[in-house]
Amino acid sequence: MAKPNKDSLKTLSFITYFIILFVFWFILSGYLKTLLLFFGVISVLFVFWMSYRAKALEEDSLPLKIILRLPFYWIWLFKEIFKSGITTTALIWNGKYSPQLIKVKASQKNRTGIANYANAITLTPGTVTIEVDKKTFLVHALSKKLSEDLQTDDMNKVITDLDR
Amino acid sequence: MSYNYIELITLILLAIGCFFILSGSLGLIKLPDVFSRIHAAGLIDTLGSGFIVLALIIYSGFSLLSLKLLLIPIFLIFTSPVTGHSIALFAHESGYKPKGKNKK
Repeated sequence: MAKPNKDSLKTLSFITYFIILFVFWFILSGYLKTLLLFFGVISVLFVFWMSYRAKALEEDSLPLKIILRLPFYWIWLFKEIFKSGITTTALIWNGKYSPQLIKVKASQKNRTGIANYANAITLTPGTVTIEVDKKTFLVHALSKKLSEDLQTDDMNKVITDLDR
Repeated sequence: MSYNYIELITLILLAIGCFFILSGSLGLIKLPDVFSRIHAAGLIDTLGSGFIVLALIIYSGFSLLSLKLLLIPIFLIFTSPVTGHSIALFAHESGYKPKGKNKK
């Protein structure tokens, strides 16, 4: 397998970032006149320059590899949010909660993956990441069932597979 | 006739979203400590706002407006874990201990 050149990868991620910014501008404005589109390009370039200057465009923060797997991951995440949301709602109404602290191990390699996993834990209702050590999270769960769901390691595997 | 159909779906989705927001607000009052209350706030952020925006998208039809509406849950998905995490971390650092069991 031919390994892609590092500079070309960086250029590709710049182009992707530019396209994403411009699509975002177009969704928010909805103008189609040439002059206004030109102004849009100028403002997008300004934002691009600012984020370049703030060193927000390192390779770690714009991973191209996962962008195609992202929609499937989001659908899976919505399913998880819905499932644990129903569990949490039932716990609130019937009052059978027993809050507890657990430790969860993360097996992601880079910083983006770890942040992704911690955010996914917090997004699913009923579990909140309190503290992130290097590879272990301190997680507060609302009931025993929710913490056991987390300890089956399903979510960890899915997010580790995301940036294989 | 199809118009009524769309309104019916919108009504059902709005009712589901309102139910989740109601139970989230109930949890904010009912649950024992800071850490548990964050869960209730997270329920409002994800499922409550998600269902209501979904209902509004279906009601307004698929246009540029619905794309703009779709941006709201996307931003909430990125920001709401950050707020929850920062509240939890601050409570943890300033020495709050989560309560173990409920009193019943």
